[in-house]
Amino acid sequence: MTDFQQHALQLADAQSSPDWLNDLRAQGAQQWQSAAWPTRRTELWKYTPLVPLQNGDFKRWAEPAGGWQDHIEQIDLDATRLVFVNGVFDPEASSELPPEVVRFGDASAEQKAVISEHLGKVVDTERHLFAALSNAWVAEGVLVHVPRGQRLPKPVYVLHVSTPTAEPATANSRVLAVLEDGAEATLIEHYASTADEQNGFVNSLTEVVLKDNAGMQHYRINMEEENIFHLGGVHADLYRSARLRGFTIAQGSRLKRVDYQVNHKGEGADLNLQGIYLPRNSQYVDYHTNIEHCVPHCTTKEVFRGILADKSRAVFNGRIHIHQDAQKTLAELSNKNLLTSNKAEVDTKPELEIYADDVKCAHGATVSQINKGALFYLQSRGVSRKEAEIMLSFGFINELLQEVQEPAVQNYLGPRLARLFSRDNELLRHISYE
Amino acid sequence: MAEQEVEHLIRKEYAAGFHTDIDSDTLPPGLNEDVVRFISAKKGEPEWLLEWRLQAFRAWQEMVEPEWAHVKYPDIDFQALSYFSAPKSMADRPQSLDEVDPELLRTYEKLGIPVHEQEVLAGVAVDMVFDSVSVGTTFRAKLKEAGVIFCSISEAVHDYPELVKKYLGSVVPQKDNYYAALNSAVFSDGSFVYIPKGVRCPMELSTYFRINEQNTGQFERTLIVAEEGSHVSYLEGCTAPMRDENQLHAAVVELVALDNAEIKYSTVQNWYPGDEKGKGGIYNFVTKRGIAYTNAKISWTQVETGSAVTWKYPSCILRGDNSVGEFYSVALTNNYQQADTGTKMIHIGKNTRSTIISKGISAGRSQNAYRGLVRMNPGAEGARNYTQCDSLLIGDRCGAHTFPYIESKNPTAVVEHEATTSKVSEDQLFLCQQRGLDAEKAVSMIVNGFCREVFKELPMEFAVEAGKLLEVSLEGSVG
Repeated sequence: MTDFQQHALQLADAQSSPDWLNDLRAQGAQQWQSAAWPTRRTELWKYTPLVPLQNGDFKRWAEPAGGWQDHIEQIDLDATRLVFVNGVFDPEASSELPPEVVRFGDASAEQKAVISEHLGKVVDTERHLFAALSNAWVAEGVLVHVPRGQRLPKPVYVLHVSTPTAEPATANSRVLAVLEDGAEATLIEHYASTADEQNGFVNSLTEVVLKDNAGMQHYRINMEEENIFHLGGVHADLYRSARLRGFTIAQGSRLKRVDYQVNHKGEGADLNLQGIYLPRNSQYVDYHTNIEHCVPHCTTKEVFRGILADKSRAVFNGRIHIHQDAQKTLAELSNKNLLTSNKAEVDTKPELEIYADDVKCAHGATVSQINKGALFYLQSRGVSRKEAEIMLSFGFINELLQEVQEPAVQNYLGPRLARLFSRDNELLRHISYE
Repeated sequence: MAEQEVEHLIRKEYAAGFHTDIDSDTLPPGLNEDVVRFISAKKGEPEWLLEWRLQAFRAWQEMVEPEWAHVKYPDIDFQALSYFSAPKSMADRPQSLDEVDPELLRTYEKLGIPVHEQEVLAGVAVDMVFDSVSVGTTFRAKLKEAGVIFCSISEAVHDYPELVKKYLGSVVPQKDNYYAALNSAVFSDGSFVYIPKGVRCPMELSTYFRINEQNTGQFERTLIVAEEGSHVSYLEGCTAPMRDENQLHAAVVELVALDNAEIKYSTVQNWYPGDEKGKGGIYNFVTKRGIAYTNAKISWTQVETGSAVTWKYPSCILRGDNSVGEFYSVALTNNYQQADTGTKMIHIGKNTRSTIISKGISAGRSQNAYRGLVRMNPGAEGARNYTQCDSLLIGDRCGAHTFPYIESKNPTAVVEHEATTSKVSEDQLFLCQQRGLDAEKAVSMIVNGFCREVFKELPMEFAVEAGKLLEVSLEGSVG
């Protein structure tokens, strides 16, 4: 066991949590300490070294802090709002919760039963080491449980804020969403931090269960500043004709790794997943997605695009696994990358593992810089080279942004991303968002 | 197509299965330093080569078998294999084909390689490897006239030691991987080709391999050096007799293409794949790699239909500016065959280009994986890669997998990867059938069309053989 694993277990001991979560915590701790620490030879961590995290000295839980409101702009929408600052619930900033949304600590007997039934059951902790850690650490968390046939009138907005602390500190974040047959909901998870001097480690895990015909829109907005460590996962089980529409964006962080695992467990389940990553400076972003087609007649459409600047690095691994007899599967994956600096590096691996014959599967991956022909075209029409570069970079991801269903999320991200590309504000007037 | 027809056609037997009885001077099973010394002494090798082998052997002992490939097979007991076997008639080396053991020649004839006629008709020089020692080389004189050296590697060690010493292990070092280290320690024989500066090799060079001795690992070592501005096309083909015990084949092929040179390496691999129950068959763990200097080109074309387990990644190191790497592959698996094959394109020089076209066909209960790496180093300014991997599934108990690794460290480099997987389209089948073709013929046509991009890269003789092979291996596994 490494020192890091040791310290993480000590953190679990130092934490108070509801008794009824003890079994899951013990099981998580057990897996965490017996797991082999990933190295370069561990396929799932081949391109992403954990050494900086290990050297991070994360020996204490983060304390709540105030004054973050001045630094963070929230997504402007009418929603059920839950705010966590350094992993601690902030009742002031949060809104009143409807009966379908509850913190683990306040759960009724019925809700406890739902949590016990599903929490830690969607995620495969054998494959996802940091999910085991999340289990060992689980204390605070949010349950979204929508009863049969109902539709949550307002989206659920979970904001997780990190602030710099005197010494490096850790925060844990956990969300469980269970949608009964035919239920519908929108869940927006927003991770943000207040300053570049972040020194925290955030371990986050979201589990989603969509029962027959349930539908969910899920957003995971990772807009943190430099220097934070964030290891996260989104794990979903989709039953008969369930629909999951996922959108994720990652920016910032010294090391950010997000795993998406979606298990198609009922026929006719449908996944539409879109992701954007925009690392710059010395940031490191790693997206691993794994879609398991266990039954016939399911569909997957997955698109990830990244633009890498400066000395940043990005890793993308998209696996689609078609099990035996999962006939009539349609699965598509596309990953496109733009490199804008000769110090940036991208490592991408789209994988197909197929054990059924009557399927249509395709994946594609590209890495290049901005298309010279397109640049020339714009320049020949009087657009400056710089402007043209911005327009083309922004256009590259704007295609995905345009597909975002929730207008508030689009309004929030649009101008931010536009600003990101145009370091010179003068050029912004060309982009429709300002 | 009716199920029983499918069944019938899947049960197509291996046409090249027979065994030739020739006494062999075989070493008892086991591997230690003495065995390495024995092999080296037996071949009368100089001290430096023995030392080189021993270095490899010592490195091998420290290494562990790779487990990352998508294949499963029982552990290999390397001490249960025999590491040297030479046909008896080697004692006095035949001077011409007439002196070659007639039994041996008949073996080749059964395979449809009439050596005598070949000299006249095909214009192909054949360096035959029967088990571990070369027994006949044709057209040597004609090649010599052009200055081309084409001989067995053991002969080359004696006749051209400075060339062998310079290039052996320069592309695939002794410690490269587990099987390459094993091969370096105990390699028995193989081919050596040297094309002098500016020479265009007057004919296609070809080697036929056969594994014949029970329990004998076959460790071929091929080294091809193309000097500046030269050109060579090399053909490698293999079939093996029917056998129950698994056999290990761990070959190493090294290609060196110096400035402006071009090497085209084509393979038709048809080792015994095991029976329909997955019993027997060859384990084929091969390391093939070429290095291309400025403006040089290396092209790999392979048609893989045999072997129980295949582990093979013909690669190109594009070291010089403007160098070109190509990989065209058809891999077909049936019954319980497993293949994990693909390529690596390492772009080092500026404006280097690579093309990867891989066609995988899985039938029966087989597993067929493409595993590739495209790496753009920071210096690979303006480099370009295009990769296309298509898989065809025939039957609902087989698997087709794609694991492409793409690493890019240069913004001006462009990498494109595309992969698709599907079964033979019902529409295409229907179209052919309603025009009077039976289902089997229709599928054969569709599959041939599916592989066309690769077949057109093969030299004529091979293209014919490959098409036939595919038809035989696949016949009817379609529904």
